[in-house]
Amino acid sequence: MPAADTASRPSRPGWAGLKLSVFLIYVFLMGPIAIIVLSSFNATTSMAFPPQGFSLRWYGEFFRSDSFVDAFLFSIRLGVCAAIGSTVIGFLASYAIVRFGGRQREAAQSVALLPAMIPHILISMSLLLALNFVPIPDFTVLLAGHILICLPFTIAGITASLDGVDPQLEAAAWTLGASRLRILAEVVLPLVAPGVLSALIFAFIVSFGDIYIALFLAGPGMTTLPMEIFSYVQWESTPVIAAISTLQILLIVGLGLIVERLVGLRRIMRF
Amino acid sequence: MSTRETILALEGVTKRYGDAPGVVGPIDLAIGKGEFLTLLGPSGCGKTTTLQIVAGLLEPTAGRVMLNGRDITHAPPPQRDMGLVFQNYALFPHKTIFDNVAFGLRMRKVPKAEITERVMDMLRIVGLPDVERRLPDQLSGGQRQRVALARALVIQPTILLLDEPLSNLDAMLRKRMRHEIRDLQQRLGITTIFVTHDQDEAFEMSDRVALLDRGSIAQIGSPEDLYDAPTTRFVAEFIGDANLIDGQVVAADGQGLVRLQIAGGSEMVARTADTTLAPGQQALLMIRPERIELVDAAAPGTVPARVRNRVFSGERITFELDTAGGPIVCTKPSLPQFRLLDPGAKVWLQPGDCRALRAS
Amino acid sequence: MSAAADRRFGIGLMTPIGLLYLLFLILPIGFFLSMGFFKYDVFGLYKAELTGENFARLVVDSYYQDIVLLTLKLAGLTTLFSLILGYPLAFFLTRTQSMWRGALMFMVVAPLTTGVIVRTYGWIVLMGAEGIVNKTLIALGLIDRPIQILHTETAVVIALVHILMPYMVFPLISALASQDPNLERAASTLGASRARCFFEVTLPLSRAGILMGSVLVFTLSAGSVVIPQLIGGKDVQMMGQSIYELVLHTLNWPLGSAMASLLVLMQFSIIFLYFRSNRRARR
Repeated sequence: MPAADTASRPSRPGWAGLKLSVFLIYVFLMGPIAIIVLSSFNATTSMAFPPQGFSLRWYGEFFRSDSFVDAFLFSIRLGVCAAIGSTVIGFLASYAIVRFGGRQREAAQSVALLPAMIPHILISMSLLLALNFVPIPDFTVLLAGHILICLPFTIAGITASLDGVDPQLEAAAWTLGASRLRILAEVVLPLVAPGVLSALIFAFIVSFGDIYIALFLAGPGMTTLPMEIFSYVQWESTPVIAAISTLQILLIVGLGLIVERLVGLRRIMRF
Repeated sequence: MSTRETILALEGVTKRYGDAPGVVGPIDLAIGKGEFLTLLGPSGCGKTTTLQIVAGLLEPTAGRVMLNGRDITHAPPPQRDMGLVFQNYALFPHKTIFDNVAFGLRMRKVPKAEITERVMDMLRIVGLPDVERRLPDQLSGGQRQRVALARALVIQPTILLLDEPLSNLDAMLRKRMRHEIRDLQQRLGITTIFVTHDQDEAFEMSDRVALLDRGSIAQIGSPEDLYDAPTTRFVAEFIGDANLIDGQVVAADGQGLVRLQIAGGSEMVARTADTTLAPGQQALLMIRPERIELVDAAAPGTVPARVRNRVFSGERITFELDTAGGPIVCTKPSLPQFRLLDPGAKVWLQPGDCRALRAS
Repeated sequence: MSAAADRRFGIGLMTPIGLLYLLFLILPIGFFLSMGFFKYDVFGLYKAELTGENFARLVVDSYYQDIVLLTLKLAGLTTLFSLILGYPLAFFLTRTQSMWRGALMFMVVAPLTTGVIVRTYGWIVLMGAEGIVNKTLIALGLIDRPIQILHTETAVVIALVHILMPYMVFPLISALASQDPNLERAASTLGASRARCFFEVTLPLSRAGILMGSVLVFTLSAGSVVIPQLIGGKDVQMMGQSIYELVLHTLNWPLGSAMASLLVLMQFSIIFLYFRSNRRARR
């Protein structure tokens, strides 16, 4: 980051004006979220804002509602599976790209990030179509869809971590007699552990927040939390949605903080 | 050539990338047991590539690598029983010094008690008796280098390979480590291949030096061989300083003695390694700057010259002289008689040993 | 291990992802997109007869024309406003010395991770008849009845900008942060005013970030379904919703596929233009 000096910043009033604009933009960004969180404590059934009264009843409603709790648990199950799947597959691919890519590394990395360049609805509809012809269990296809959308993030993060590992370390271990597997386990993995862990968490976050894949591919008895919210919102409008959303926000922001502590979210966002 | 038994042999080893002209090779080399051989050369000459082929980190495009008579050309590093010391040490940052040095022994399934004994022993030998519990980033550069050495030696490899291990150290430490490594090598009697671009280093440490030029061995021999009897212009210029004067062969005995005539008419007798030099051919006369006598009168075998410049460097004086055949550099110890020679003075040069090289 | 064995190991590592992509991505999508060339069958998915009528319908039928044009318009507006709002944000984040910088950056990404539904819901609350905007305007006496904010194109653009801005901000941050600070200093010692510095040095150099961010935001907004559906409802129809409708409700897969192909074409053209201008910029 450039050091502070007068040339790299606009003048006093300019900078103050910028700070004000940025503040307003942050209000814009955070506003809806703040509203949801605040609305969740509304004592009345209306979604009016500002909320009237303070109550935790909607959180109670959430925990009492079987459909919401089931959806929440299912999302977690799906998220864990998708996270593990995309991290494992992503790690293997990342290692291949970084260590064996050579001159084709950029191309290989672009190909690996393919799902990020395809609209999610296209992915899910195509899989839905394929389901018509090939009998695959619904959960498998849903999981595959989620792994697909999580992979670009795990690969981006893990390749960045691997880049920080000196290839000479692996060469040294090799000359000392370690097999390829040993090298991975004793030299590479310990050094990229934070990166892998954060890829895992980020993949979970992506899977948990997805709607497009789940909407098309979820079979009977498989409802994710976003799906449940989506259908609920279209028919009713009580603050229970705000409560659920707040819980989801807390969960994900908490996980995001862990990732930030481990490697910084910016690295994973860097396609 | 030494009378040692050959441990490692490279036969026609070549490395090419795609259709590009060869990076290395063909190289033929035989290294004897307990020998300290240095691969010397400017950057890009292929010395590190050759070392990596020996270690098994790279595969040659053609040729063979033989270890004790066994063809190991395609064998992966774990099967080669060699210890490699990297330029940047490549110590595992997340392991303690002890674990770093013990790594190779663990891969060889040595029993734990023996590992502890050998590791502590080796750390003592390299002069680091108390650091086994520390992490690499807590050590200085010189200490890390010794750990890298210990790690490579503790497995008692057949051959020790060092890839410019001293380049990252400051000058004083470098000089000290040169002696320590050489001492260690001689004490353990381990066959060693050393890679460097520093000619002084190569000369101080090696039994033999192989000078590489653009992928091939220009000359291989003891340091004395390379200094006294360079076979090509490249070798003459890379090793030490050399005066090179164009000349024409006037007479040759076919056994290494020739007489050259240089511009200005003077005829010089020179030794040569090229026995095919014949009268009428163009050749280069090579004279080392410190092997020239300065006399004050003409005599057979002398060359007239005029002093152009005189540079005083403390222990010696360097004279830049002009002759009919071109500029010549002569160095002398800084004794009183030489301090009196001023620029513009006329002297006669009487070269000592001269070499004749084929003009390229 | 030889170079050949190395390559084999590398290929082995790529096998899981390769298989996954082939079986679950490339083949299904290829098949789905090819459906656009088949005839619509009321009883089944499609009739195995090749036809161009689906694409023709998209071009000729004014209903679909409107959808495509509206998509282009809204995606374009979203991209424009993401840039206008995102640039100051990115500029501020790269130049500020505040110790809150890490937290501020986190606040830009964090909303992204909560998922589309949650944030869209926030906008519904905001913009609804009883939402805070209306309440505020009534309280201020500017209007006496709640105005229609939801179900308008404006609302959709606002929500899209809100959701997609991080995708504009991050490439911009990358581009701005990698600029050599000495360039601006050089310009100012040569006499350029601060405004000139910005317009002649900083802005052009951040071009790569602007392009990448624009490509991301445009393609994501063009293909969005949930936001236009929840916020725009029946009154705002974008291509994403249309495809959803055709495939899942009308069950006209061929037409839906044709529309999807059109969407993909639009997106890839933008990406292609991006790579072209990138290559030109490198010369």
